[in-house]
Amino acid sequence: MSQGAMPQPGGWPGAGGPEGPNVEAEPVSPGRGKAVERQDSRAGPVAPGDPGSCPSRGHSGEQEEDIYRDEDEIKKEKELLVRERGLSEPKLSVAPEMDIMDYCKKEWRGNTQMAKRMKKGYEEVSQKFTSIRRVRGDNYCALRATLFQAMSQSTDLPIWLKNQDIMLLPEELISRYNWIKQWKLGLKFDGKGQDLGDKIKESLALLRKKWAGLTAMRTAEERQVACDELFRNEEEEYSLYEAVKFLMLSKAIQLYNDKEKGKEVPFFSVLLFARDTSGDPAQLLRNHLNQVGHSGGLEQVEMFLLAYAVHHTIQVYRLSKYNTEEFITSYPTDPPKDWPVVTLIAEDDRHYNIPVRVCEETSL
Amino acid sequence: MSYVPGQPVTAVVQRVEIHKLRQGENLILGFSIGGGIDQDPAQNPFSEDKTDKGIYVTRVSEGGPAEVAGLQIGDKIMQVNGWDMTMVTHDQARKRLTKRSEEVVRLLVTRQGLQKAVQQSMLA
Repeated sequence: MSQGAMPQPGGWPGAGGPEGPNVEAEPVSPGRGKAVERQDSRAGPVAPGDPGSCPSRGHSGEQEEDIYRDEDEIKKEKELLVRERGLSEPKLSVAPEMDIMDYCKKEWRGNTQMAKRMKKGYEEVSQKFTSIRRVRGDNYCALRATLFQAMSQSTDLPIWLKNQDIMLLPEELISRYNWIKQWKLGLKFDGKGQDLGDKIKESLALLRKKWAGLTAMRTAEERQVACDELFRNEEEEYSLYEAVKFLMLSKAIQLYNDKEKGKEVPFFSVLLFARDTSGDPAQLLRNHLNQVGHSGGLEQVEMFLLAYAVHHTIQVYRLSKYNTEEFITSYPTDPPKDWPVVTLIAEDDRHYNIPVRVCEETSL
Repeated sequence: MSYVPGQPVTAVVQRVEIHKLRQGENLILGFSIGGGIDQDPAQNPFSEDKTDKGIYVTRVSEGGPAEVAGLQIGDKIMQVNGWDMTMVTHDQARKRLTKRSEEVVRLLVTRQGLQKAVQQSMLA
């Protein structure tokens, strides 16, 4: 259980999104597509990304790793392993806090370029966040990390969730767009024969109920404990992801329709539908959203969609981009001021963990 | 200060006028702040209410402008030159206190000691 320090949004003044060309510093392994919001005019269709799998650990360096460790290190490692086994009975989808630099040292031994960059990246994160909570890596991790952060720091039920109309959304959309019936439910709900509209409505109701319950709590401690309780790898937790995915689809449909009508739309949605595999919301569902939680996670451009779906700004420390402008990427790039901010850490844009902050102090 | 719905809110405030000290290019105030709506309030050692996300004085430099002006560690800053400080992020608070164009900042603070002293004198 966390020790009272609560995940809070980072407060980086002037943290910008990606500006200018996306410079890839490392060779990207085959099949890893990326979509980055670009401000220049040469935005053509972005290569369709293979969502790939969502590894739950960072990778240590390859050839240059020092595999000969001294006695002390081996002993320490053994102790750590014993402790870990005891601690992390993986019931929690979000692991208890761990000191962030300890975590970094454990994950990134050796002296490869990658390891060095990761260490520097973690060091920078550690200036604002002292701990890290590992998030279960099962292709839901982007949703999980974002939702966990958003719900655990909420003091007010979001307006869009308070709105009664949200419960009518599933029925309304399904009746209008028959292809939504191709929705692929999470493994926990597949094959139960429940009507899709009912299931989604149930999920939305659960999301609202749980969120409201959390905001009603008086102390940060209580809220943290309750949030940990919710994210316990049980049906309830996974039901929430159905709701969030549906909200993402709903937002995508809205943006697509707006664009068709000639209205102004946020730039990411242009990129979203410029992909070969998601020329319209139906394709987005079939080829992308249906994969989330099964065979793939969220693409970069879909992180924007997630942010818009839950009206939260997602700020990500992207460690692989250390020393570039994209080290801290904000989804969306220019967020509305009234959107709450959640902060995540990603080593490689495939898996997201949660940083936990301590009180900031500034001398004047 | 805890807020009980239905009860009148009493606040005892102290006005503190800090004349910033010029040190080279910088204007320093001689104290540190913690807190903000983007921070974790449970970690604040000075607040009575652990959900209080206000701005608190966490350190006062000895002999510095803030100490001279009477600011004390643990003070909660309510206003700076008329600007509200009860619903700001940590960084917004920093900005409001360190405006280059302002050599003097007038703070409105509440102090627990004061609170208790007044309550006790009311009971007497």
